[in-house]
Amino acid sequence: MSLRIMPKSLLKTWIKHLQSRHFKVVGPTERFGQYVFEEIHSADELVMDYPTSVLPPKKYLLPPRERLFTFNAKTMEMQPDIQAVPTVILGVHTCDMHAVAMLDKVNNTGYADQHYKARREATYLVSVECLTPCMEGSFCKSMGTLTVPENYDLHFTDLGSDYAVEVGSEKGAALLEGCSAFWEPSEADYARVDAVIGAKWQHFPYRLECDVTELPDLLALSQKSPLWDELGERCLACGMCTKVCPTCYCFDVTDEIDLNLEHGERIRQWDSCQIEKFAVVAGGHNFRSSRALRQRHRFMRKGKYQYEAFGLMGCVGCGRCAASCLVHITPVDTFNALHRLRQAAQNGSAAENTASNQEVQA
Amino acid sequence: MSAKTLPRIAFFEFTSCEGCQLTVVDTLQDHPELLNAVEIVQFREAMSERGDNYQIAFIEGSCTRPSDEAKLKEIRAKAQIVVALGACAHLGGVNAIRNRMALPEVREYVYGEKAAWFETYPARPIEAVIKVDASLPGCPIDRNEFAMAVTHLLQGRLPNLPDYPLCIECKLLENVCMYQRGKTCLGPITRAGCAAICPSYGDGCEGCRGLIPKPNWAAMKAVLREHGMTDAEIDSRLTMFLTYQTMQLEAKAAEG
Amino acid sequence: MTTLLNETLKESIYMPTPARITAVKTFTPTEKFFKIALPSGFSLAHRPGQFVEVSVFGVGEAPISICSAPSRSNGTFEMCVRAVGKLTDALHRLAAGSTIAIRGPFGRGFPIERFRGKDIIFVAGGLGLAPLRSLIDEVINDRGKFGRIHLLYGTRTPQDILFAEDLVAWANAPRTEVHITVDRPDEAWKGNVGVITKLFPKLRFHARNTVAIIVGPPVMYKFVLMELLGKGIADGNIWLSFERQMKCAVGKCGHCQLHHIYTCQDGPAFSYAQVKHLEEAFS
Ligand SMILES: Cc1cc2nc3c(=O)[nH]c(=O)nc-3n(C[C@H](O)[C@H](O)[C@H](O)COP(=O)(O)OP(=O)(O)OC[C@H]3O[C@@H](n4cnc5c(N)ncnc54)[C@H](O)[C@@H]3O)c2cc1C
Ligand code: SF4
Ligand code: SF4
Ligand code: SF4
Ligand code: SF4
Ligand code: SF4
Ligand code: FES
Repeated sequence: MSLRIMPKSLLKTWIKHLQSRHFKVVGPTERFGQYVFEEIHSADELVMDYPTSVLPPKKYLLPPRERLFTFNAKTMEMQPDIQAVPTVILGVHTCDMHAVAMLDKVNNTGYADQHYKARREATYLVSVECLTPCMEGSFCKSMGTLTVPENYDLHFTDLGSDYAVEVGSEKGAALLEGCSAFWEPSEADYARVDAVIGAKWQHFPYRLECDVTELPDLLALSQKSPLWDELGERCLACGMCTKVCPTCYCFDVTDEIDLNLEHGERIRQWDSCQIEKFAVVAGGHNFRSSRALRQRHRFMRKGKYQYEAFGLMGCVGCGRCAASCLVHITPVDTFNALHRLRQAAQNGSAAENTASNQEVQA
Repeated sequence: MSAKTLPRIAFFEFTSCEGCQLTVVDTLQDHPELLNAVEIVQFREAMSERGDNYQIAFIEGSCTRPSDEAKLKEIRAKAQIVVALGACAHLGGVNAIRNRMALPEVREYVYGEKAAWFETYPARPIEAVIKVDASLPGCPIDRNEFAMAVTHLLQGRLPNLPDYPLCIECKLLENVCMYQRGKTCLGPITRAGCAAICPSYGDGCEGCRGLIPKPNWAAMKAVLREHGMTDAEIDSRLTMFLTYQTMQLEAKAAEG
Repeated sequence: MTTLLNETLKESIYMPTPARITAVKTFTPTEKFFKIALPSGFSLAHRPGQFVEVSVFGVGEAPISICSAPSRSNGTFEMCVRAVGKLTDALHRLAAGSTIAIRGPFGRGFPIERFRGKDIIFVAGGLGLAPLRSLIDEVINDRGKFGRIHLLYGTRTPQDILFAEDLVAWANAPRTEVHITVDRPDEAWKGNVGVITKLFPKLRFHARNTVAIIVGPPVMYKFVLMELLGKGIADGNIWLSFERQMKCAVGKCGHCQLHHIYTCQDGPAFSYAQVKHLEEAFS
């Protein structure tokens, strides 16, 4: 890993440089007061200090809708559709970087997904250090995602007039090649980076009332919690929380075919475990027939199941679901409520134990 | 292709604006191959012949008077497959707005058989009168969805259309939520399939495609209230396309 | 000779290989039996209990159990399909000679080597006999290596009985008993009537040396499990196959997830010991 310094005024130059090398450059841009990752044509469109994006940059690795292969239903010929457009994603927040680690894990476990892999290999991740909390619902510090994981190609830290650019991989180094915008750091630059990173920590609150490492056990003990019914009452089952989540990857697969019933394609599209039919099987049996059970499944995945299956937390604390949910169901509130219920139960039984001990003594 | 006999389809209209049939005409222009895939035997919007020998009937419009019932039943008897075309046929459509207003049932009660002379009775989806095999929702229908439905029929199966909420589709397109733009939207309880066209153009969804299978009615109202709508405004919002469905739900709830 | 799985994994794990329907038999108004030939040079090399993803292009894909035994495979396999929706209806419309497409085989099957030397109780409800048939045939083809065999099979009516010829053949195999029960008998039915658990009193087995393998609709498991556990069969000796909605079969789409387990890859065959503590496993 090595450090470079780039004056902010040269960001433009670098982006032009990348484009001239035929990279597709994407980054956060403004849309109706929110931000979305989009292809950048000039650096002016880029908002590097954006708070959060509607959809996470995941959409470039696992597109909302993707053709898996084309087929001819008459000749049975097939052609896989594997896309690998060299793409630089600028301005990925650290929580979303952790989410990419999760997607990498899922897509490389067992049989590797070639569609994902090709795209991932052609993707250059340029992450950016968050210096102030991005929004009310985020809780990255609690989830341990406020520090960038080691999967970045380049990592930017805003030093005021300059960016500190950490080079995390050969792919990252390749992005700097032939561009004069990046300077060797001085001793003072190292100190500047340390100062900025050292100062930011205190601005971020811990929002979970328990430690992240306690979540799997807390959830294991909460399978039968009355909280799920309460969430089920409120939930609209609209699925937005899962659409905006950087670690959700569930998909549906469908066929489309032309009116001659000959040429067609198989499509995958993001699905949501919150919709009624996600777990229905033939004969109509639904393994998660109520909104309460579907909410439980969602939070179990976030705080327990995915951790057990892949060793990584299924929630990175980005807060997007909290910001989208029209009925204000949030992971922080949910985990905290379970934690409090658990504590109350423990205190209750402790109190009961004491009471019965006293009875025995009396 | 010519050796094969093509499925014979016919279009009918009841109380409607004929916008859905116009959309069919548009679709035929977009997908000229449709004309090689089916034989249209009756379609007032586009041709003068009126064949009665059809297998698939697309019915536009809602049932709004007693005389509609006999005609619907006649179509049902002749067709192997009946498809409701658009919100009027599928949900009663905008025609059902009046269902909550006067007391037409009373009129029917009073005038009995002759009620038809005294205009109409509450608007109903055609499913209230005859068995419907599939419904193409929307006001008007979506042209891609129409082509897809025909494709499915050509495959020998009933159209398989999405019934998950619009928010899914809307979020796949990365629209900024109407609620975050200071507006309201019925997306969470409305069936997807229109490519979230209203939110994509900056308007909240009015629910023209009808309700998802198990809408969380109470929660939706609470959201609308929280976003500044009065109960009267909420009722009128749910009236545009959803009168028939909401009245059914209310009746069900009242039964217990 | 290469395996179909190698071919499946080659370019895209989602892209199937064409295969031909060589025979279709109508079992019941809703269930048909299909014999499938792989392209020449391919073997299926499956384990009993595994499944394939079957495609009809333009309609979609669905997981279907392989119902023939590996030892009888030879570039072909069999499946029994109930028409319940898009893909399964489309399959029912196809005749011998049609081409479909296949991916797989997927999942973990039953660990047949662990059943050697043991008495075996097979419990099948309805279409659950299809995946079990692969295992039963494999056991019977190697009859000497296993102890006593009981097959309990329950269907709704006598008309719903699947694999009638196989049932007769199995009943005639040495030290093998076949008990069939129906929920609703007709006049001609002389056999057992009632739920499948009613058949248990007929069985004689030594619980410590018995394995039980159950495949049926979700509602069946709870009651059969109670019966088997009550007879003293160990958790690890009870095997089941789980049905979940599956959209990929390769551990990616999330539909089949049960706790941290992906039914498509970690199952569909599980021992009761593996899943008994999992919420939603039997709900
Ligand atoms: C491991 C495994 C092995 C199997 N083996 C066999 C077998 O050997 N033979 C066999 O006949 N079947 C088998 N099945 C079941 C079979 O996969 C389903 O019947 C099939 O997927 C249904 O697909 P479809 O396209 O025909 O129906 P769909 O049109 O997808 O749905 C038909 C019915 O299934 C339910 N359903 C499933 N998915 C959905 C959904 N997304 N939306 C709405 N409803 C849905 C509903 O009840 C619906 O009525 C197996 C399933 C699994 C998981
Ligand atoms: S966003 Fe909120 S209302 Fe919608 S499904 Fe998620 S939790 Fe339920
Ligand atoms: S669950 Fe919510 S907070 Fe956690 S990663 Fe997903 S969207 Fe972000
Ligand atoms: S949640 Fe934390 S890491 Fe993610 S964007 Fe917000 S501040 Fe950055
Ligand atoms: S704009 Fe409407 S449809 Fe779109 S996400 Fe918001 S509520 Fe749902
Ligand atoms: S967004 Fe709503 S009102 Fe608009 S077309 Fe779609 S369903 Fe109809
Ligand atoms: S079927 Fe897709 S993960 Fe199991």
